[in-house]
Amino acid sequence: MTPIRVSLLLGLVCLVAGWQVIQIPESAIEMAVGPALMPALIVGGLSLVSLLYGIGAYRGLQADDAADPEQAALSGSTTRFLFLLGAGAIFIGLVGLVGFVPSATLCGVCIARAFDAPINLKSFLICGAIVIFFWFLFSKILGIGLGPALTLI
Amino acid sequence: MEAFEALLAGFASALTPTTLMWGFIGCFVGTMVGVLPGLGPALTIALLLPLTYHVPATSMFVMFAGIYYGAAYGGSTTSILLNTPGETSSVVTALEGNKMARSGRAGQALATAAIGSFVAGTIAILALTFIAPWVVEVALAFGPAEYFSLMVLSLVAVSSVLGNSLLRGLVSLGLGLLIGMVGIDLQTGQMRFTFGQPQLLDGIEITVAAVGLFAVGEALYLAWQGRSSQPGSLTKLSGSLWMSTQDWARSWKAWIRGALFGFPIGAMPAGGAEVPTLLSYYTEKKLSKHPEEFGHGAIEGVAGPEAANNASAAGVLMPLLTLGIPTSATAAVMLSAFESYGIQTGPQLFSTNSGLVWTLIASLYIGNFILLVLNLPLVGLWVKLLRIPPPWLYAGIIVVSIIGVYGAGQSLFNVGLLFVFGLAGYIMRRFDFPAAPVLVGLILSPLAEQSMRQALTISQGQWSTFITRPISATLLAIAVMLLLAQPLYQRWKNRQAPIGPEDGSPTA
Repeated sequence: MTPIRVSLLLGLVCLVAGWQVIQIPESAIEMAVGPALMPALIVGGLSLVSLLYGIGAYRGLQADDAADPEQAALSGSTTRFLFLLGAGAIFIGLVGLVGFVPSATLCGVCIARAFDAPINLKSFLICGAIVIFFWFLFSKILGIGLGPALTLI
Repeated sequence: MEAFEALLAGFASALTPTTLMWGFIGCFVGTMVGVLPGLGPALTIALLLPLTYHVPATSMFVMFAGIYYGAAYGGSTTSILLNTPGETSSVVTALEGNKMARSGRAGQALATAAIGSFVAGTIAILALTFIAPWVVEVALAFGPAEYFSLMVLSLVAVSSVLGNSLLRGLVSLGLGLLIGMVGIDLQTGQMRFTFGQPQLLDGIEITVAAVGLFAVGEALYLAWQGRSSQPGSLTKLSGSLWMSTQDWARSWKAWIRGALFGFPIGAMPAGGAEVPTLLSYYTEKKLSKHPEEFGHGAIEGVAGPEAANNASAAGVLMPLLTLGIPTSATAAVMLSAFESYGIQTGPQLFSTNSGLVWTLIASLYIGNFILLVLNLPLVGLWVKLLRIPPPWLYAGIIVVSIIGVYGAGQSLFNVGLLFVFGLAGYIMRRFDFPAAPVLVGLILSPLAEQSMRQALTISQGQWSTFITRPISATLLAIAVMLLLAQPLYQRWKNRQAPIGPEDGSPTA
């Protein structure tokens, strides 16, 4: 990722948003401002500032922490990054099948791995304890619906 | 006098055991999130939004106020002992506070921060108590055109003041405004930006956006960096928590000056806490009889900025309670909580929900006292929190984030969206886009659209209504000035800079 790619991403967002503005049907109700005006103004404004950002990025004027030796990533950044994103995918994929506690525990283990903790029994036990504590606090004490703690398939 | 009587009624309500308990929980949790890196009041309040279905409004807002205030207190502990500010507003405290801690005066640094926060907080709440009703009276004269212009000013101010670049601030704002448009248009019933997904018909929940941008985004950024896998080096808690006579003499004026910077700047659109803390620091440095101590652990350099920080927290509540305008990410999330309860914010809040508002203000006084009592004796506990290894800390933060989002309706779509916002938060953090304008834009864009439509309906479609009405025109003029000020100043500065002798490039 570089500032130029960020500007391209912003350009893509503007294109998709512009296409969506065209899709908004006109309202049958007679009114001074229809449902598409404000979105069109916003997309227009965003396109303008995105273009200016892109010009700045092309000229090398936009910031990127990767270019700063004190902020740049250490080796293994992709693995750490993917473990954290994978944690979310694991939770989404498993919570319906096995219940909240096992899926969130696995999710926690992957997050801990993203911060360089090894995947071992200790990691499972600590993450399990964290998940059970918060599940009990939120689900049982505060009454927030998190579904069953454990679903036996 | 009327305000005083209403405040007394607020105290009567806030001092009931249940409300007091929520206030205490809020202060405790707030201090904890202020201490812990990667958490903040906006994120914490967003995570607790699902509780609005179970807890009465008064108790909830008393707790939220405690969290907001507690976070402002708690940030000083990490700044002083770890040289890692938990909040951006505590950055200045770290400059002198950590130096004091390293020279064996951590106790005094923590004490002047806590007592200063109490003194300045009290001054700011007094100002809020007596100025807010006056602002409400003025605001009652506002029509939809004035409201629209005020929101434009607020949005521009948030984008231009927060962050390092006006352009990147405006990109963030544009994205926030766009996200705020997702869902069914309430006036016409037309779907906008939903891509045919039924989950998007109600729009994007602020909890998902706030938690994704702040918690998941921060965790992704830190995981990408790989520099936070070990806890930072913690300076030993040393020195008495009692301040000497000389410490008191050097601190009290700084506390008061800090409060005078913090409250008015905090109450301005996008004033925030960063500007008053910096102003306070440089003022104390200039006025100090010991300027040579600055940079080596001057107590005024901790006292003033910490006081300014806490006073600005009360200041931020002013536009939220009186005008219904959020000027920070935390205020935007609190506004969303008002909406969850179906409470109409704005000047009419003082008449329609007078009990709630005055209980909230009274709870700030009580919370300020609770925090003073809580902060110093429990400093050992806060230090222990700082020793939690990052893998378990972030595992806990993300699990709680998932609970906050999943618990609101068991929607896996929203959990997926949480990680999409997390990715956006990572990109924004890495490429230096401020995140607060996204949240403020998200919450204000439907409100601004509504005001614009009402104004144009009243004026029979005449756009000139925004510039022919004096208050509206003034607000828009200020917004334009704010937009132009930074680029013009930059251009002027570049012209002033001497040209380099060899390559022709500016040397400054």
